[in-house]
Amino acid sequence: MKPKEKSILSNAEIIGLSLFFPKEKILVLTDLHLGYEEALIKQGTLMPKFNFDDSIKRLNKIFSEAGRIKKIIVLGDLKHEFGVISEQEWSEVSRMLAYFSFNSEEIILIKGNHDKILEPIAGWKNLEIKESFFLEKQKILFLHGDRIPESKEFNSAKTIVIGHEHPAITLTEGIKHEKFKCFVKGKYEKKTLIVLPSFNSTLEGQDLLKGKLLSPFLHQDLSEFELWLVADKTYFFGKMKEIEGFN
Amino acid sequence: MISFQKEKYSDKEIYGMLHPLLRDWFKEKFGSFTEPQKYAIPNIHNKENTLISAVTGSGKTLSAFTAILNELIFLSEQEKLENKVYAVYISPLKALNNDIRRNLIEPLREIQLKLEEQNKGKKKEKKLLGKVSSKENKLGIRVGVRTGDTTASEKSKMLRLAPHILITTPESLAIILNAPKFKEKLREAKWLVIDEIHALANNKRGSHLAISMERLQRISPEITRIGLSATIAPIEEIAKFLVGLEKGKTRKCKVIEAKLEKKLNLKVLSPLPNLVDVSQEEIHRKLYELLDKLIQEHKTTLIFTNTRSATERVVHYLKDKFPEKYGANIGAHHSSLSREHRLNTEERLKKGELKVVVSSTSLELGIDIGFIDLVVLLGSPKSVARALQRVGRSGHKLYDEIKGRIIVLDRDDLIECSVLLKNALENKIDRIQIPMNALDVLAQQIYGIAIEESQKIEGVYELITQAYPYSSLKRSQFFEIIDYLSGEFVSLESRHVYAKIWFDKETGMIGKRGKMARIIYMTNIGTIPDEARITVKIKEHKIGSIDEGFLERLKKGDVFVLGGQSYEFRFASGMTAQVITAYQRPPTVPAWFSEMLPLSFDLALEIQKFRKLMEQKFKAKKSKKEIQEFIKTYLYVEDNAVEAIYNYFNEQFLFLELPHIKKILIEVFSEGQTRHVIFHSLYGRRVNDALSRAYAFALSKLIHKDVELTVTDNGFVLTANTKLPLEKMLKLVTSNELRKICVFAIERTEVLNRRFRHCAVRSLMILRNYKGRTKTAGKQQMASRLLISAVKRIDENFPILNEARREVLEDLMDIHNAEKVLQGIEQGLIETKIVFSDIPSPFAFNLFLQGRMDVMKMEDKIEFIKRLHAQIQERIKTK
Repeated sequence: MKPKEKSILSNAEIIGLSLFFPKEKILVLTDLHLGYEEALIKQGTLMPKFNFDDSIKRLNKIFSEAGRIKKIIVLGDLKHEFGVISEQEWSEVSRMLAYFSFNSEEIILIKGNHDKILEPIAGWKNLEIKESFFLEKQKILFLHGDRIPESKEFNSAKTIVIGHEHPAITLTEGIKHEKFKCFVKGKYEKKTLIVLPSFNSTLEGQDLLKGKLLSPFLHQDLSEFELWLVADKTYFFGKMKEIEGFN
Repeated sequence: MISFQKEKYSDKEIYGMLHPLLRDWFKEKFGSFTEPQKYAIPNIHNKENTLISAVTGSGKTLSAFTAILNELIFLSEQEKLENKVYAVYISPLKALNNDIRRNLIEPLREIQLKLEEQNKGKKKEKKLLGKVSSKENKLGIRVGVRTGDTTASEKSKMLRLAPHILITTPESLAIILNAPKFKEKLREAKWLVIDEIHALANNKRGSHLAISMERLQRISPEITRIGLSATIAPIEEIAKFLVGLEKGKTRKCKVIEAKLEKKLNLKVLSPLPNLVDVSQEEIHRKLYELLDKLIQEHKTTLIFTNTRSATERVVHYLKDKFPEKYGANIGAHHSSLSREHRLNTEERLKKGELKVVVSSTSLELGIDIGFIDLVVLLGSPKSVARALQRVGRSGHKLYDEIKGRIIVLDRDDLIECSVLLKNALENKIDRIQIPMNALDVLAQQIYGIAIEESQKIEGVYELITQAYPYSSLKRSQFFEIIDYLSGEFVSLESRHVYAKIWFDKETGMIGKRGKMARIIYMTNIGTIPDEARITVKIKEHKIGSIDEGFLERLKKGDVFVLGGQSYEFRFASGMTAQVITAYQRPPTVPAWFSEMLPLSFDLALEIQKFRKLMEQKFKAKKSKKEIQEFIKTYLYVEDNAVEAIYNYFNEQFLFLELPHIKKILIEVFSEGQTRHVIFHSLYGRRVNDALSRAYAFALSKLIHKDVELTVTDNGFVLTANTKLPLEKMLKLVTSNELRKICVFAIERTEVLNRRFRHCAVRSLMILRNYKGRTKTAGKQQMASRLLISAVKRIDENFPILNEARREVLEDLMDIHNAEKVLQGIEQGLIETKIVFSDIPSPFAFNLFLQGRMDVMKMEDKIEFIKRLHAQIQERIKTK
């Protein structure tokens, strides 16, 4: 049996901030929010741009561990701006897609709530943007997670994999605190639910214990949900209810 | 060169310098000159830089303005008054109008009347000759106020007809220096007056102003600088701050320390002779009886409390206990009250409609508050300078004394205030610290300078280091900020997005970048952070709100009181603090903690000196009478107080021993498994903040457990549930390592995060106003959270992040003096002595109780102390 630290599903494991299905050679990641820094700059915050280079660096590591990939699935919010495509986005999205296609046979883009007008960039690469992607045999449905779909595939799915939420947890020691991204596993109705953290390194993520959660999939009692925290490596953190301070 | 002005001029000499109109007006109005005027007017007349330090109400403002008005009247008479600014007057307060009306507009109007009267006679003659000029009848000296509230039309009017005397704030001065047209009106200005300079020099507003002063000097090289200050120390430092440097040398400045003309009638009062074995009700009853007695004996009384909630409480109780005496004639004045409410109180005070007004800090500065014949300080004002500033609000021309009463409610307060009183009467003022090399303010000012025009970078460096707070700025620090401003921290291709200025290394020139530069500068300058209230919530349920400064002090698990209930702090998220209810748990942080002023380091040392003298007496086995005699003569206190002080020291001496300036007592007291390590380190909260965090950090590394921490002015307490390797801990924290340890200890804490936001906003990394939108403090905080981790990736020592660390360590805490304490220990000048006790020693009562105070109702606290006190009495009987 694989160590709990890595195996979140029987047929998938965590590598960095991505989920990898070794048998199918599918790599799943989400919420890159390319262009986020530029959006901040436009609002008057001098945010240095790290995300793209940093993402590529981390992806290189992932690919060197996972080998040649058959499918890359991006669970939405590849880019950040809602209504427009900024200069930074245009260039970074094109470069990212080129990088993906170099490392994977196929790219599947799932539409996120930030991806209102991804089509012009994606179209140029002959890519299709989907609402969801379904692995028939394994009955795994990949979604963004901002809304609950009504589809045959959804009804028959046993496992749902979503992004959107950017889950994270703050650990406190005395007066110090630090936020860590995490993977979450729980149930939605009778299906297994997996929530991936955002791949963007600028965004810290939404603390699961603080404030309102975005995804309707998570509007439920989370105390039985399990956590995998990502720091220098992945750490299995047990159930939400066991985390100190959760109530 | 700073020199002290020793001799004063005679009325005759001064009158000899004045224009007949001004002379006659002055004679009629005042007769004679006040102390500061006698020293200052001729100097200013001779265009010498002058710093005047004197109490409020001693005619300081007019000592600056008399010479200025004089010259302007002469110019007016000769019809040489040009359309430009001659004098720039800077005040830290926005609401200046009152003082200015009294000190400038009124005199000018009265002098104008005088002129008209005088001309009436002449006119008749002239009429006969057929020549009348309306100009002759007009002084034509214009006074203008320019602050953030000045409208565009008023500004354009000022551009057409420049005020000869311009009244403004530090922030507006910086804006004017970047206004291409109005700046021209400031060229060759002759005088620069900085009012309330003591309230500016010790913070970042002062750093900002110091550079603006140099920018003004550059276009007005002959300008004379005049500083007006309350009694303050070290006065030489303030003088250096006022005048700055030229070619590496301090410019000339004459310092005038006007002696108090009025007698200082100051006393420490205790409502009861014994402050420890009495019930809370009794203290309370006696306190209000005493207050009422004092109020009734005087015409108008001003009461200062140390917190806003105490202000409300005092007003409430006075009305409640003496309904027939206090009603409409009592007013409250503190910063949480609306502007209208405050103005209304001020107005009624001036009209003499109030018998008593209660304030926290808001009435300390500025505005003339009319007739006050008694100032009462409820609780220690924590520094001699503040005590003098507060009691200085009393006094009236008709009276020849300043009358203040400090009321104390516990024994620590009694000793603190008695030593404070001694120092006030002996005119020993505690020193303030001027923040040095604040990099965020530097970035903002260099940006402004670059917008003015393209120029040599060497000239900019020279200008900056002429300002005293930057006189020790290293070239490397300066260029770090140039790198930041010119976007060197990002790669070349995206630099155009980040660069605020361009810097050409070949030619050594800098200049502005982008069309928006000026508007960004104008709408974002300033150093005062946006105030934010933090909403306190249980899940989604709102409880109330706390100050951001209070949040900075909270750590997870801390218990505090809000609206009479206690809550446990869990975490902060943006502008909300999440809590859970904490029934019947003592608070670890008192609610007024962030409002509480810290005890000044110098005053703390004076108290420690007194402790040392007392130990000598006890060790020499002096009799009770001898020691009491010593207390009485040394501290200028009355018999009640002498008795209480004697008993307090005697108990501590017999029970344990006395800590003092040469000995830090470390008292270890166990409660079951819990060990409290009580440091009797009376250095004030700012020093103890740095020391305690370093010790707590070292200790938690040694025992691999969290250490709880309570900090007060008189010491600090470390608490943990295990055996503590204290000797090892003491060795780990050295003066050389202190800064490093503290940097570690504040990393990833709320206080550093919040201060980084302030620094990021000041250095324009986060623009609070941009493209017509304003970012709330909450939005700024969100942006700053992302920014802090981003800049850490670029460089752990990114200059703006380092500035935030500096601000926490040097301005909020006092790491310099903490280092000195540690050096004292290392050199064997200060002994550290670990002692064990099974009951907290008398000196530890308050330290130990700090924080529990709010929830343990006053009564429980008194009960607790009474119980401990009884145990101690029992114990020392046998000795």
